[in-house]
Amino acid sequence: MTLHSCIRLLIVLLLFCSLSRVETTQAQPTDNHTVTVTVATITALQVSSGSVNLSITGAGVVAGQDLMTTVDESTNLVWGINSANRKITAQTGLVAQNFTVRVLAISPTQGSAASEVTLTTAAADFLLNVGRSSGSCGIRYTGLALASQGTGSDSHTITFTVTTQ
Amino acid sequence: MPRFLHSRIVPIILLLFLGTVEELASQSITLQGGNQTLGITTGLAGSEPVAVINTASSIDFTKANVIQKVTVQTSCLGQRFGLKVVVTSTTLGTPAAEVTLTNGMPATDLVTGVPKRPPGPNNGSCSLLYTASATFAQGNSAELGNDVHTVTYTILAQ
Repeated sequence: MTLHSCIRLLIVLLLFCSLSRVETTQAQPTDNHTVTVTVATITALQVSSGSVNLSITGAGVVAGQDLMTTVDESTNLVWGINSANRKITAQTGLVAQNFTVRVLAISPTQGSAASEVTLTTAAADFLLNVGRSSGSCGIRYTGLALASQGTGSDSHTITFTVTTQ
Repeated sequence: MPRFLHSRIVPIILLLFLGTVEELASQSITLQGGNQTLGITTGLAGSEPVAVINTASSIDFTKANVIQKVTVQTSCLGQRFGLKVVVTSTTLGTPAAEVTLTNGMPATDLVTGVPKRPPGPNNGSCSLLYTASATFAQGNSAELGNDVHTVTYTILAQ
């Protein structure tokens, strides 16, 4: 074999190897895919279990005073809301009421309490600015009766609702 | 001189190139399972939305002439929610700790100590577990859009 033919052979070999090298670097040292995270609109609201009894017994009533009251703070409300601009309202299902019940949010961990409201069948603001939050608050119920209203009982089903503020 | 070239140098050069070719070709990684979607749909009052997991993806990879590792990184512009990945099992190497995937993160180890060859099989695989999470404060996709990650896995010399 002459020097010329050896050089030609070398060139051919180098060319072959170079081509092979180019081809094999296409073997993937990396790969990727897309991972999509979706979060649904979630609204979770829960009142602590148990019934609330507001009893006006006359104990401590001052003679000559018509208005009698009683207070209960034994229950609370917890929520988780991932929508913006939300509030919580309260209403009762009892249309004909003999006596008055007021409700107030106490010590909310998120948002702000609305003013104390008298429960009716129309939704009234209970908590404001609770959008995109998770929190809790106590519920203060106040029962009111006038001596002139006599005796009796009211049974309320109270509903709390998350709604757009 | 020509005879010497032919009988000694040419085979050596050929072997060297073939060796290089073989090593480059062995640095291979392939994701199995395609694109994935993780949907968070429930939450607990007073707590947070319930995280979801996805185990539909795995990685196939090959040994090389050096000890290797697998890294992971992601690109997700405007990322709002949480996403983590961890290797639950691997046939070669050692799983690293769970990795929190955040936009623009540096490549982070996912599997280390993939042995060089030989001995043993040349191919390995590992199973992936993604965990998506969110807080109520982070909002929802209807208002803010989805997080779309391009998650990249790389095998390289350790």
